Amino acid sequence: MEHKIVDHLFRHHYGKMVAILTRFFGLSYIETIEDAVQDTFIKASSQWRNKIPDNPEAWLNRVAKNRTIDILRSIQAEKNRNLTISTGASSLQIDELFLDHEVADSQLRMIFVACHPNLHPNEQIAFALKTISGFSTKEIASALLTKEDTIVKRLTRAKKSIGENNIQFKYPNPEAVHDRMIQVMEVIYLTFNEGFHSTNQDRLIKEDLCGEAIRLCQLLLKKEQFRSGSLYALFALLCFHTARLESKISTDNQIVNLKDQNRTKWYFSLIKMGNSAMQKAVEYEDTSVYHYEAAIASEHLNAKTFEETNWKKISYWYEQLYAFEPNSFTLLNHATVCIQLSDFEKTLRLLNSIDVSDLGQRAYLYYGCYAEYYVQIGEKELAISFLDKALMKTTNRLEREFMIRKREGLLG
Amino acid sequence: MKDFMMIFIGADYQELGLSPEQLQERMGKWFAWNEKMMSQGIVKSGDALVPHVKRVSGPKRTVTDAPLIEGKELIGGYYIVQAENADAVVKIAEDYPDYDLDGTVEIREVMVFEQ
Repeated sequence: MEHKIVDHLFRHHYGKMVAILTRFFGLSYIETIEDAVQDTFIKASSQWRNKIPDNPEAWLNRVAKNRTIDILRSIQAEKNRNLTISTGASSLQIDELFLDHEVADSQLRMIFVACHPNLHPNEQIAFALKTISGFSTKEIASALLTKEDTIVKRLTRAKKSIGENNIQFKYPNPEAVHDRMIQVMEVIYLTFNEGFHSTNQDRLIKEDLCGEAIRLCQLLLKKEQFRSGSLYALFALLCFHTARLESKISTDNQIVNLKDQNRTKWYFSLIKMGNSAMQKAVEYEDTSVYHYEAAIASEHLNAKTFEETNWKKISYWYEQLYAFEPNSFTLLNHATVCIQLSDFEKTLRLLNSIDVSDLGQRAYLYYGCYAEYYVQIGEKELAISFLDKALMKTTNRLEREFMIRKREGLLG
Repeated sequence: MKDFMMIFIGADYQELGLSPEQLQERMGKWFAWNEKMMSQGIVKSGDALVPHVKRVSGPKRTVTDAPLIEGKELIGGYYIVQAENADAVVKIAEDYPDYDLDGTVEIREVMVFEQ
């Protein structure tokens, strides 16, 4: 039976409340705040069983405000001194923090805290997923394919580092915004990639990670001082990729090759959003890898059928991307494009120049590409041996099934 | 028609560390179950219980605050429903949302005293 609560309300609201309360109390209270907010949702989950409030968001806000006052009292009691702010004044201040633009402002501050250079990149993603996106440690572990213990440790280190470095709940200084934005975009991009390419078996987690990355991007784009060509290009890229996220997996939960995807299932509203973001991106002077990657993704979406794909143009963009920033994944992707162009000599050259250790968990894609190369030049046995190597490198059920089907095709 | 109490034991959300997303999902399931029973007109009453426990025991009426009860033994809530017999309530209890979290439903008939 349907109930009238929007999808992800709790998750999104968690991030909002943690950000608002942190703005009020400061980062040193973040653990108390997280517990209090979590408690709000536990309460809601039992209280709303029989009757969902008419305005669930307002209910959550009200409870969060009350919790704020509770926390304030307990902090004051702990310090054993009088309230520095009278309750009247503080509740007025609290009310203001719950206004929409202030909520967005608090969340943006949290993004910059998460991406603070004092935090290790591993910690940045974990911290962002926890405090901004409301993932549990278990969900983060599952999303990042790591053990829960490791995530708990990363979060502890992140919080410790925030304390030790006395990181403030503020925007970076104007002169530091540019550098910090690079880090912020990186975290958003990585979060998205974990969702889009990840070897995760859980489809929902994949979609949620992609959704979160898009949401954070949108949040940043709302503020003029954070806009840049790179940020618009990143947003465009995420839209383009997400547009075909659903068609990547078939109804019986198997991976569908780009070639066989049902292109009518792509989300054209997202493609449109991506296109207009791309137009904005080129109005700025800066260039980034996101520009090139968005150009490539857009080229794929432009083709009505797989056969109509302009592989030459895509190959050109990969060439440009590699010149802008050398990267093993670019080489690998470029190699797969060269297979489409039947330029097998170049395919092999590109593949041979890749250091497979750069590819980490996605090494299986590299072996998969070799396999396809050998299929194309008619070396079935070599193709099968590379598929076997690829199979050894991934535990993802979907990816494995895809490769096993391919292998059976070669044997038969 | 008789009254039966369905007692929900275990699956303490707090202890299980469910995420906001999971809590919303659980809440939706409970809501749907409640709606279903309401539309059938079988619910007499029901509540969720706060996990904090105070226990009074022994001839000295010893009070224990927050006794060490394991999450899987904690009573989380109850419903009183009307049904023909216990088997009918077993059928109703099939929709209890928390079996996958090791939750249990205990079904007890409410005793009726002769006038």
